[in-house]
Amino acid sequence: MTALASIRDLTVTYRRDGNEVAALKTINLDIVAGERLAIIGESGSGKSTLALAIAGLMPRSSRIEGRVDWLLPSSPSSGAKAPLGGRDIGFVFQDPSASLDPVMTVGKQIAEVAYTHLGLTWPQAYAKAKSLLERVRLPDPDSALQAFPHQLSGGQKQRIAIAAAIAAGPKLLIADEATSALDTILQAEIVALIRRLVAEDGMTLLFISHDIALAAELAERIAVFRHGELLELGMTAQIVGAPTQAYTRTLLDAHIGLDAAPLLNRAGLDA
Amino acid sequence: MSLLTVSNLTKSYRCGSKTIAAVDDVSFHIDPGETLALAGPSGSGKSTIARLVLRLIEPDAGRIEFEGNDFLALSGAALRARRTRLQMVFQDPLAAFNPRATVARVLDDPLRIHGIAARAERPRRIAALLERVGLTADVAPRAIHEISGGQRQRVAIARAIATKPSLIVLDEAVSALDVSVRGQILELLLDLQRQERIAYVFISHDLGVVRAIAHRVVLLEGGQIAESGDARTVIDAPQSAIGKALVAAAPRLNRIRP
Ligand SMILES: Nc1ncnc2c1ncn2[C@@H]1O[C@H](COP(=O)(O)OP(=O)(O)OP(=O)(O)O)[C@@H](O)[C@H]1O
Ligand SMILES: Nc1ncnc2c1ncn2[C@@H]1O[C@H](COP(=O)(O)OP(=O)(O)OP(=O)(O)O)[C@@H](O)[C@H]1O
Ligand SMILES: [Mg+2]
Ligand SMILES: [Mg+2]
Repeated sequence: MTALASIRDLTVTYRRDGNEVAALKTINLDIVAGERLAIIGESGSGKSTLALAIAGLMPRSSRIEGRVDWLLPSSPSSGAKAPLGGRDIGFVFQDPSASLDPVMTVGKQIAEVAYTHLGLTWPQAYAKAKSLLERVRLPDPDSALQAFPHQLSGGQKQRIAIAAAIAAGPKLLIADEATSALDTILQAEIVALIRRLVAEDGMTLLFISHDIALAAELAERIAVFRHGELLELGMTAQIVGAPTQAYTRTLLDAHIGLDAAPLLNRAGLDA
Repeated sequence: MSLLTVSNLTKSYRCGSKTIAAVDDVSFHIDPGETLALAGPSGSGKSTIARLVLRLIEPDAGRIEFEGNDFLALSGAALRARRTRLQMVFQDPLAAFNPRATVARVLDDPLRIHGIAARAERPRRIAALLERVGLTADVAPRAIHEISGGQRQRVAIARAIATKPSLIVLDEAVSALDVSVRGQILELLLDLQRQERIAYVFISHDLGVVRAIAHRVVLLEGGQIAESGDARTVIDAPQSAIGKALVAAAPRLNRIRP
């Protein structure tokens, strides 16, 4: 088991209105090369902060202590080399509009990543963009290349954001609530797509979600965050079947699945 | 007698050269104190139905009967009076209120606008409403943006019940909440329903929640009803293709219970 990234004593503090907010508190975590790791926790628990800190995208106003050591196959001699966003790390966010440029065609946006990071010519980059649109199973790749983001549905936009995220062949794919804005059918499709692409390209996946059931369907390991702390980390079956933390049990109990006991007391209704 | 009867409701939107039938010949009814869920994929017409029922938009065709009246024929004072009986709670409670407004102000508005309580009596009414939704009176002076998402949704519910409605339309009202907070809000809604016999139109694409809270469900696809019936019967054994797809797509926690 080699760690793609070793996070050691990572503490992140935001400054806001003169106050300090501790968003992450001495986090220690190894992201294993090739694994699917889910980060779960309630709103404000520090999930997105962890993703941004790993990717080196923290705002300047924040204070970061501790370190993240990388073992990137591209540079085996210098194990601690910092990764490059876009090339070594691909990002997919909840709102695809946030990562797509509204005034640039879909084809250009994806081709640009390939052009910038892979040293392709523009025609090669466009050919790559088209093959990526095929890989994310967009219905009509040729016309999608010419389309602008607003001409596409939410699910289609998320497929394009994923195509752009993997265009440079990153080692790590970070999906931050990438399916939360989608209906359940689209969510299941996008999760299946991420699973397939990660397997085909041998990527490592960091899947951030507040939905423990969704995380459990996709991830091999689950890390539970609360109030900026890593509460519990384990194999999915252990976290779901035998959590050690009461908080994890609370999260599991709060899930309302298709087999949950109805909350409704039918006797109360005389319809 | 049913509380709300919707018959052959139809609404199209023009989108460039195309016409989208957002709601296409939809009929259903709700009894007093009942929860009817509207479920279906994105774009299936759920929110459009909500807006039609609330008369935020007007249908192309169809009938809406509410508390025995032809709701679409009401106007002016009669419509305003009837509207107090039909309230709404949406997904994003911040969007519904001015974020700088205080909790007290948000609750004072309906009491004042509908002449429900005299000025001197309103602070007491506001405190009672807050208590009713599980908040304490000390949140009253705080600004909407200063309280948590779960607290904001409680305030939205307090505002909705201020006018003593018989029906509340909830459009993805718990979808943005953390799971533990979501459970508390669902319990609150059920409690209010038991105590005051409020009926709900509960819109959600989360079939687990629908199954847990609704009496009956209407599954929509492309603006049409694909399937409807008892919530547990439909979700446990869907007959329509979209029903089967929605059930298959719901994430499952295969817990080994001790
Ligand atoms: N740019 C920022 N400036 C100041 N505080 C911030 C900033 N970003 C996040 N925070 C704070 O840091 C904490 C962790 O936030 P973070 O966004 O990492 O949580 P999260 O787990 O991703 O939540 P969510 O599920 O809502 O996305 C929160 O208290 C949040 O308010
Ligand atoms: N104001 C509008 N103008 C044009 N088209 C609209 C408008 N409102 C809704 N539509 C279209 O009507 C259809 C139904 O939309 P609606 O918002 O009712 O769906 P929904 O079931 O609530 O979806 P979601 O789960 O995404 O909220 C969609 O095709 C939508 O694009
Ligand atoms: Mg986040
Ligand atoms: Mg809607």
